[in-house]
Formats: sequence, C-alpha cells, structure tokens
Amino acid sequence: MNIGTRKILDRSFTAVGIGSIVVMALALMIVVVPIVYNGIGAVFFTGTVEHRKMLHAEFKRGDSQDLSSEVASSNRYRAKVYDMLTGFEADLETMAPEKKAEYQAKYSQVRTALQALLGPLPGDPEPMLTRFKYGQTRWEKAEEKLHDLLYESKWDNSNPNVMSKEYFVSRAIGFEGTSLARLFPYIKDNLENMLLPEFTFYWGFITDSSVDSHFFGGIWPEIQGTFFLAIGAMLFAFPLGVVAAVYFTEYAKPGFLNSMLRSANSTLAGVPSIVFGMFGLAFFINTMKVSESKSVIAGALTLAIMILPTIIRAAEEAILAVPKTYREASLSLGSTKWNTIATVILPAALPGILTGGVISLGRAAGETAPIIFTAAVSVGSAIGLADVFSSPTPALSWNIYNLASEHEAATQIRHVQYGMVLALVTIVLLLNLSAIVLRARISKKLKG
Amino acid sequence: MIKKLLLLGFFFSCAVTGTANAEGKALVLDGSTTVGPVAKSFATYFTKKYGVRVMVSESGSGNGAKSLINGSCTIAAMSRAMKDAEIAAARKKGVNPVAHVVALDGLAMVVHPGNPVRSLSKAQISSIYRGAITNWKEVGGVNSRIVVIQRESNSGTQESFKELVIGKGVQMTGNAETQSSNGSVKSRVSTTLSAIGFLGLGFVDSSVRVIAVNGVLPSVKTVKDGTYPVSRPLYFYTNGQPAGAVKQFIDLSKTVEGKGMISELGFVNR
Repeated sequence: MNIGTRKILDRSFTAVGIGSIVVMALALMIVVVPIVYNGIGAVFFTGTVEHRKMLHAEFKRGDSQDLSSEVASSNRYRAKVYDMLTGFEADLETMAPEKKAEYQAKYSQVRTALQALLGPLPGDPEPMLTRFKYGQTRWEKAEEKLHDLLYESKWDNSNPNVMSKEYFVSRAIGFEGTSLARLFPYIKDNLENMLLPEFTFYWGFITDSSVDSHFFGGIWPEIQGTFFLAIGAMLFAFPLGVVAAVYFTEYAKPGFLNSMLRSANSTLAGVPSIVFGMFGLAFFINTMKVSESKSVIAGALTLAIMILPTIIRAAEEAILAVPKTYREASLSLGSTKWNTIATVILPAALPGILTGGVISLGRAAGETAPIIFTAAVSVGSAIGLADVFSSPTPALSWNIYNLASEHEAATQIRHVQYGMVLALVTIVLLLNLSAIVLRARISKKLKG
Repeated sequence: MIKKLLLLGFFFSCAVTGTANAEGKALVLDGSTTVGPVAKSFATYFTKKYGVRVMVSESGSGNGAKSLINGSCTIAAMSRAMKDAEIAAARKKGVNPVAHVVALDGLAMVVHPGNPVRSLSKAQISSIYRGAITNWKEVGGVNSRIVVIQRESNSGTQESFKELVIGKGVQMTGNAETQSSNGSVKSRVSTTLSAIGFLGLGFVDSSVRVIAVNGVLPSVKTVKDGTYPVSRPLYFYTNGQPAGAVKQFIDLSKTVEGKGMISELGFVNR
C-alpha cells in the first residue's frame, strides 16, 4: 500500500470517528436537554396565588399576612367575575324557556372552565379532592385553561369522506347580546390580577410528600424509596459479591465446576430484569415469605440478585489486576494466604471493586421491572427505617412509569413526571460521579 | 471511610424520619387500574384522617386477585367480580374473599374527537371487536380502517367488556391492539383518528369523544338506573369480613366524604 492511500484511509477513519462522536453527542443532547429543561420546570416556574394558597393550606408554608393581602387583591378582581355570573344567572331566569335551555348548556361549560382556572366558584360545594380545591397553580397551565375558557373546540365534519377537523369558536360570540359577553374580555385582560403570577422556587418538590396523587406537592417518598431500595440491595450484594470474587480468584481450583460457575455468573448478568422481578415475587414473597406483602426488603433482595453478577465480575477483574509481586512480597514475609488477601490484595483492588459497586448502585436505583411486583406502590407516604421489613414504598423509576401511563390525569401533571425523571437521572449521575471521585482518592492514597 | 460516614449519616437521617412516620400497621391495596383513582383518593384521605398509612399499587384486577390469594395485600381492588376459579384457589389457601361494592362504573366507548360517529349499537361494537366490521364506513363513518384497542388479559375492564358486550368465550379479533392501562388507552385513542377503545368513566376527558351505546350516553343517571348497557360495579375484596381499619377504609364509600370523592372522580355512587 503506498503512502498516499494510507494517508487517505487514515484521514477518513479519523473523520468517521469524529462523525460518530458528534452523532452520539447530538443524540445525548436530544435526550438530556428536554429532561433537564422540563424537569427544572417542576422546581422553578411561574406560580400563581393558587399555588401559594395550596402551600399554606397543605404544608403551612408562606407568610399568612402576605398571602391574605394577595388573596384580598385577587378577590377584588374576581368579585367582578362572580358578579357577572350572578347577574347572568338572574337574566337566565327571565328568558324564554327554549332560549334559557340553550344558554344554560353553554353557561355550564363556561362555569366548568372557570372552575378549572380559578378554583371553586362562590356557591359551589366544598370539593373533597384537593385537586379541585384550587385553581391553576402554574401560570403556563392557567394560560391553557384561559384558552379553553375563551374558545370552544368544535369539529368540522362537513366532508363525510374524511375525519373531522378541529376549529375554535370564540365563546364570547355565543353569548353576544347577553350580560355575560363582557366576562370574556374582562378575564382576558385581568387574569394576571386574579392569579398574580410570580417566579417561584419550589424547593418543596424535593422534600414534600405528594398531595392528592401527585397533583400537588413533591416527590420525597419516591426519592427516599429509591435510596432505600438501592442501598438495601448494596448491603446484600456488595459483601456477597466481594466474597464470591475472592473465592473465584484465590481459592477455586480451575476445573469443570469452576468454569460452570463462572459462565453461570456471566449468564446471570445478561438475564432481563423482569425475570428477576418475577423470580423475586415467586421466591422471596410467595415462597420464603420475607414479608407479608410487597416490601422494601423483598425489592432490595431482588435487586441484589440482579446486580450481584456485575459486582462479582468487577471485583474479580480488580483482584486479578493487582500485580503478582504484591502477593509474592507478602507471602515471602511469612504472611498467611488469608492475611495476604485481607491486608494486601483487597486494599489494592478496592478502587476497582468500589467502582463496580457504585455503578451497580446506580443501576439498582434506576431499574423498574424487578420492583414492580416486589416493592413498588403508586401512592404511599414516606416510610421509616423500621418499616422496610413490612412495607412497600413508592420509588422514582416505577412512579415515572405510573404517571406516564396509568395516572387518570397524566397530561395535567407532566411537570411532576419530568421532575421525577430529572431527579432519577441526577441521582444516578451523582452516584457514578462519586464512584469516579472515590476511585481517584483511594488510588492516590494507595500510591502516596 | 468516607463511604461509611456517608452511609451512617444517611441511615441516621432516615431513622429520624422513620420514627416520625412509623405508626400503626399499613394497609396494602393492590389491583385494578380503573379503581386506582378511587383507591388513591381514599388512601390520601384515610391517612390524613386516621394516621394509618395506606399503600396503593395498580397492577390490574387479575394481579389484585392473585395478591389477595397469596396474602400479599389487605384489600384487592377489582373492576370485575372474582371468577369461580379464583375463589376456589383462594379457598384452597384458606382465604375467604368477600366482595364490597365501592362504586358503579360505565364502560365508556371512546373514539377520537374528530370521528363523526356519535353512536353505535351494542351489536355493532361486538362486530367491531370480533373483527366482522373493520371499516368505519360500515357503521356510518368515513372510509377508514378501524384501529381496535383492547386491554391486557389481566385487566378487569377487559373481562367486563367481553362479558357485557361480546359474550363469554367469544374470540376477539386478532388485530386488536393491547394497551396495559386506562391511561394508555386514552392517549392512544386521543392520538389516533380511526381508533376505538373503552375506558372506565372516571378516565374520560375532553381529549377523547364518548359515543352512545344503543343511543344512550354513559352518565351518572344512566349508569345508576341501568339504562346504559355497559355498566358494572367496582369492588374491594377482603379476606373474610373486614374489621378495624380495613372496615373503616371500605366503609368510606358509604360516607358523605367518600361519596363526594367518588363522584368528583367521575365514577357513580351506588
């Protein structure tokens, strides 16, 4: 091959390499940017007075005096809306029956839209569910609801050969000539005065429990549950894994049984996580009865089995990477085999073992399938350490799935879902970061 | 060392929160995603009022029944009645399932809001799900293939639908697409112009259009008086007659507060 062709090949390989890195970075951006952007929106957002009312009533947070003056100023603007409603209701009574029926249907839609925007109207019975006790707590949602109030969505099915198309009709036109027509421009102009949006830093999203199945409040029970499960799994898997790795590398005699065990371990590492989930349900809960119901302990054990192969492999590699001279030096000084392992080999292999451990911790925190049947619930309060043996827990990974698909109002609480995703991604990233830092520190200490 | 300190600190902080929260034995609910909203709202209310922790998981009626039989939940939420086979399995394990009706529910047939079809007869729905009708044109709609959405076999809603509309033991069309919860049926139908699906009444919102069955739209009135043809009760199952906190929890559905929650969630009080 002449030098020219070689150069061309070399350059094109470099170009392909750079190209693939760029594609990867872009793909990562496409995934991460929306997560971070929307997730931060769960904590930093433009909150309305309804949000502050909710915080004060549910969490006793915020200054009562400031709040009551805010509520008073917002109520001044709302009073006009309520007056218009009562005025129109009185007009309704004087209308001819068929006209009344026509307006009544449209009016009840307006009332529903107003309730969604501002919370219960005067004369409404006190709602039982917290979600209906307040108006829109977030300004961007309030703007959506304002659109619902101002415009009615209709479907044009004039062409019988195609599906209908959506179009919007101003509600104000429907009420032309009645006293309610003034309501729509008034609300459009004064919504800010009624809801008093201001920039909000809701740190409680991390530390509060959820209110009314994640409509309001935070995600602390989920975060805590995730930690309980991941750390619980480590408590079982880490010591077991290291002991197994020591056995494989130091004690086991090469032979049929040993190679069988090793390949079984490698196979276990590739088993889909849902299989571990079903195994956990069948073995830990139904057979061993480690707990009466789903519980943190059952989930942690299941996760432990799932991450065990990875820990064993990482620890094995780390132990094998310890230079032979360390071992020989120790043995030549008259140290026993066990003493050599405990005082020379394991400390030297520690950075590698810990890295494997912390990365597995991250995996345990993020897995959904193993905990569906063994530990996770969709609603529950934060549990105490004493309850891990008997009680299931909410956990980030499972609750993200639950909010995305099963929740009855999934589209209304997307911000909570994104907030959970960001929290989970952050936890896993921090764990991995701590693995890197820990490794660097320990190997520095060993060298120095 | 650092790791140990971190761990220690974490457990200490957890222990502190733990002592604050650990009071009484928790109630564990498992089962139907349709009953889920009711169960979750009851749980929140119950915890607030009586200080008893209630954990709710939504894994489907079938799993709820299994959990009750295995003794791994206190209350099984189900959107269908227990089958004879399940009751027999429970008896074998010494579990005595007792049904409590919490609320009534109409199975709303939903289509995309852009679909001009406003009403179907029960026979037409049955034909659609059996695969005899495959185009909206055949039921007075536009010329478009019907995307049939069903629920998974574990679902109580699926079983009720089969029993009420198609008849037991009749084969559904192999082209039906399976979604695993009410929420995902709703999002699939709201994004697919030619889809049809069924939802618990509490899950209906403006993103989908409810169509009338035999000319009757599901509402509190029509479900309660039985004129809506596809209605069913929602159950809580317990092992034996409930007592103590379990009884209190189940009896919530008979209180003013419980009834209020049920109707605000869009379900129908008995």
